[in-house]
This record gives sequence, C-alpha cells and structure tokens, in this order.
Amino acid sequence: MMPDFLTIAGAAKFFGAARVLDNVDLGVKRAEFVSLLGPSGCGKTTLLRIVAGLLTPDAGTVRLDNADITRRPPHHRDIGVVFQNYALFPHLTVAENVAFGLEARRAPRGETRAAVARFLGLVHMSEFADRSVRALSGGQQQRVAVARALAVRPKLLLLDEPFSALDRKLRETMQIELKRLLRELSTTAVFVTHDQDEALMMSDRIAVMNRGTIEQLADPATVYHRPATGFVLGFVGLSSRIAGEVVAAAGEEVVLATPRGKLRAAGTLASGTKAFVAVRPERIRLGAGGGDNELELPLRDIVFQGSKMQLHFDAGEGDQVIVEAAQLPGLPLAPGAPVKLSFAPADALAFALDAKP
Amino acid sequence: MKPRRERIDPVAWLALPAVAYLALVYALPLIMLLARGVMGPKGFTIEPLASFLSDPFNWQVIANTLKIAALVTVVCLLIGYPTAFALAWSSGWTQVVLLAAIILPLSVGVVVKAFAWQIVLRRDGILSQLMVSLGVWDEPVRLLFTETGLVLGAANVFLPFMILPIYSVVRLIDPRLAEAAATLGATPVYRFRRIVLPLTLPGVLAGVVFVFSLSIAMYVIPSLLIGDRYQTLATLVGRSFLFMRNEQLGSTTATVLLVLAVAVVVGSGVLARRLGRSA
Ligand SMILES: Nc1ncnc2c1ncn2[C@@H]1O[C@H](COP(=O)(O)OP(=O)(O)O)[C@@H](O)[C@H]1O
Ligand SMILES: [Mg+2]
Repeated sequence: MMPDFLTIAGAAKFFGAARVLDNVDLGVKRAEFVSLLGPSGCGKTTLLRIVAGLLTPDAGTVRLDNADITRRPPHHRDIGVVFQNYALFPHLTVAENVAFGLEARRAPRGETRAAVARFLGLVHMSEFADRSVRALSGGQQQRVAVARALAVRPKLLLLDEPFSALDRKLRETMQIELKRLLRELSTTAVFVTHDQDEALMMSDRIAVMNRGTIEQLADPATVYHRPATGFVLGFVGLSSRIAGEVVAAAGEEVVLATPRGKLRAAGTLASGTKAFVAVRPERIRLGAGGGDNELELPLRDIVFQGSKMQLHFDAGEGDQVIVEAAQLPGLPLAPGAPVKLSFAPADALAFALDAKP
Repeated sequence: MKPRRERIDPVAWLALPAVAYLALVYALPLIMLLARGVMGPKGFTIEPLASFLSDPFNWQVIANTLKIAALVTVVCLLIGYPTAFALAWSSGWTQVVLLAAIILPLSVGVVVKAFAWQIVLRRDGILSQLMVSLGVWDEPVRLLFTETGLVLGAANVFLPFMILPIYSVVRLIDPRLAEAAATLGATPVYRFRRIVLPLTLPGVLAGVVFVFSLSIAMYVIPSLLIGDRYQTLATLVGRSFLFMRNEQLGSTTATVLLVLAVAVVVGSGVLARRLGRSA
C-alpha cells in the first residue's frame, strides 16, 4: 500500500481549559484530496493551522514527505494555504500577490514571471494581472488566492472554507474548477468545509469531525451509505429513523422491535439496547418489493424538488420517515392516505439511541 | 456637450464651522502678521526677507531648527514604531495601561514637563547619576543646555503624536496577512519588509508630519532646556517680539518658519500619495 504523504498522529490542542482537538490521527496520500467536514467550532481550522505551522500542537506530531515538521516554522514547511478570507495583500496588484511566494524564495526573475503568467492563466485571471486586489469580487479574490498558493508549487495545499463567502451558483462553478485544477497539477490537498454536499462532491476521502475528534475517515460513498456513527449519519445527508429496542442480534445484523413492527438492520448491538434504524431516503421503495422490511404509514406532504420528489410520512413521536423518488408510481397518493413502504435490511443501519445527535 | 463643472461634495459643508473658526482666529491674524514682514513704509518690499537671508547668523538658526526637528522626529520614530505595535497587539489590562501611559502625559502641561526634564538633565540629575552608576560614563555629565538634552526632552513630549497615528494603522492590519506571507516562504524579516512596513507607512508619515511640525515650531521646550544662547526660528520669533521689539524681524522669521513647515507637510502629502500609488 502507498505510504501516507501527510501524517498527523495524536494531535491535541487546548485553548485554556477547552479541549479543541483530542488525539487526532489523519493520513493523506500523495495527490489525494481529503476534506475535513464538520460543524462550525469542531476544530477544523485549528487542525489546519497546526499542519501549516501557524499553531503549535500541545501533543502529537505532523509528518510531511517523510520528515517530522511538527516544530518547523511555517516558512520552511512548503505548505500553501488558501485562507477563509483569502488574506490577499491589499497593497499589491494581482500579479504581485501571485509573485510574492516566488520572490520570497528568491526565484530567478524570469521563472517568477513565467509562473505568475501560468497560474493566473490557470485560474482565468490573466486580464486582471495589473489590477489592485481591492477592486476584485469575492470569486476573483478566491482565484487569486488559489493561484498565489499554487505558484510556489507547495508539497501540500490547505484550503479553509474557500467558497463559504460565495453565492451558490458561483460556488458550484468554482468547486468544479478547483477540483479539476488540483487534479491536473496532482496537488495533495486538505480542504476544510462545513458543507456536506461540497465535501461529498469534491473529495477523494472525507474526515468527518465532531468536537475535536475525527469520527470517520472514508470515501464519500462510504460516509454517506455506511456512516460510522450516529453523528456522521445525522451530519451527512437526510435519513429516515425509527426508534425501538434490539430483540435479536446475529453477526452483523440485528432485529429491532418498533411501534411500526419488527425491522432488520445492519449493526452490532446487544439485545435489549435502545436503538434506532436509519435508512437513506432514496433507499426506501414506495410499495412492496423493496426488501424484507415493510411499513405502512400515512402520507403527510409531497415536496417537489425538481429532479426528484420528497415524501414525508407521519411516523409518530420522535421518528421521521422521508422517501425520495425520481417519479411517483401510479399509486393514489393523497395526504393522509396510508402508503406501503419497503426497504432492504442491508440498506438499514442500527445505531444505539444515545448516539443520536 | 456641456463642460463638466467640478462640484463640491455636499459633505464638505460639514467642515464649515471648523473652516470659519480657523479663518477668523488663525488665518486672518496670521496674514496680518506675515504682511508686516513684506510691507515697508513705502508698500510691498522684499527687503526685510533679503536682509534676513543675507545674515549668516540666521542661516545658523535655520540649520539649528531643522537639525533639532529632524533629530526629535527620528528619536520619536525609533521609539514610537515598536511601541505602536506593542500597543496594538497587546490586549486586556496590558493594553489599557499602555494606552493610559501614552495618553495621560498629554494632560500635563509642556512647561511642567520641561521643568521636570531640567531636573533629569542636570549634572547631578538622575540621568547622569544612572549613567555613572552603570559605568557608562566616568563622571557626571550635564545634558541640560545641550542639543542632546533638548532632543531627549522634546522627543518625550511629542512621542504620543508619533505613536498614536502608527497605532491606528497597525490595529487595522489583518494578522492573517503575515501568516499568509509565512506560508508562502517569507522569513520574518522579509514579511516585515514587504507586508508590515508598507502597510504602516501612512501612519508613519502622519506621525512624522505631526512631530516634525510640532518640533520645528516649539518654543517653551528649547527656552527651558537649551537657553537663549542657542536660537531656533521659533525662539527667534519670540525674542524679536518680546525682547528686541523688532516686529519686522519677528514677522520675517515667522514667514520663513511657516514656509518650512508648509513645505514639510505638503512634501509628505505628495510622498504619501506616490507611495499609495506605487504600493
Ligand atoms: N485562539 C483561540 N483562542 C481560544 N479559543 C479558540 C481559538 N481559536 C479557536 N478557538 C475555539 O476552538 C474551537 C474550534 O475552533 P476552530 O478550529 O476555528 O473551528 P472550526 O474551524 O471547525 O469552525 C472553537 O470553539 C473556537 O471557539
Ligand atoms: Mg474555521
């Protein structure tokens, strides 16, 4: 197996008595794009700053390209950073901003000029080279920040919520552009976001963070379909959930007794545990035939979402059942009418109830 | 097409009270004073100015004035620049105490401060005693009535006018700019030279203009710290009016002083603009 290019081991950070990072381990491979996904305040920026050398961890080590860089100052790390507010140098032009890193490294003049031209071209900002950065829009500033960080060809690129200040339409364009650019340049990148859709669409792997720890590190499909914890399940995507009690457990499968009947789900919980069954909305079939688990619930609302329909059902106190379908089968679907639903035990996950976020 | 007329921004009217006040109590008397420097019994004349400039003593006075003002400005800049950063980057009580230490002395009159410096700078004053006990000096030295003593005293009095404008720009610098520069490979010295220094230049320039104009025109401090054997333009103006009763000389000297001060202020303004454009 390919060894990790960036390795964070046992990283911990306190601010006063508050534990902001708790024993974090993370490995990133060469040319991989890993996202740190988690709610605001969970420690994403803190972890990124430790990797960049802008913050010293209270415990743990950071290794990059086979060297321990835990105590190395940021200007000797060769790690580029795109800051959340971009932090462009306001007294310099676009081209001067991009040239800054090369000039700081005393690169030959011709090389600097070539790199500036190349990277401004890559982010489609060539015509703005001589503008003051103060006159740029948010999206343009973001491009300049990316060009500035990449122009020195760092070993690793860190991005802290680079799209959070952009409106949605522009954000989607920029996400695709950045992903393509980083792949073309084979850049190793760690990307911070609190936006699950952004993480799912851009990442090779996602580290889902909660209160200073990484709860799951896996590829997007695994994070979505096989969330490791109740927190990951709740943070990434919608799910239906029905609470009950484990009445039988065999291998990787459990049976829950719920007010809606017995349901089978994947999980390893002991009999007697209070738990809930979770299913992604697109894995529930309207009508029978979707699998061994069957429910019959009254329909509450139908929400039209363009490419799909979302159906909300009355599931009782504390539970929710949501189904997504590309089109509605020819059933009589009037609000209040009972509808038969079915799903496969393999698509259902059981989590202990105290783990519910 | 109609020629576009330069319109005055309506907001400028807000400055009307200040402009009116200054015109009445400052500009008008000043013009009357300066007029005496160029008006003889037979109308307009440059004779007083010409005779002023033909006297080598007066050139010595101009040199003294510029030298002291330049030295005071340099001392204030060297002490004030790092202090402004300490003030901007400290927090909580440290910042409150620092700010108080810089602003409260402004409420002590210049005369009081100058007398205090007389005590400090005497041959048996605390500065001399300290230097001797530290072994820096072999024997007590009188700094009172020397250029060094004057520069030290004046720099102390005018220091807040250097610190405060620099502080106000340092406070506005995003600390992430230096961090961004560091991640791009810039050493601390390079970061200072390319990022911090250029961004603080407007504050430095404002402080330099304040301190230079204050020290070029100071009267009480040199009177008490260096005495009348050493003349600057401002003390010469005072002497002309108060002791020599020579209004012509006083007005001419005041004109020269004003021209120098205006040259410095306008020159710095032009420099600031140029820096702002190239940076
Ligand atoms: N310099 C600091 N001093 C004290 N607390 C801090 C500091 N920086 C961050 N924190 C706290 O640490 C926690 C994690 O912050 P951060 O890493 O910025 O979170 P995120 O980027 O995931 O939103 C937050 O609760 C924040 O208030
Ligand atoms: Mg953050």
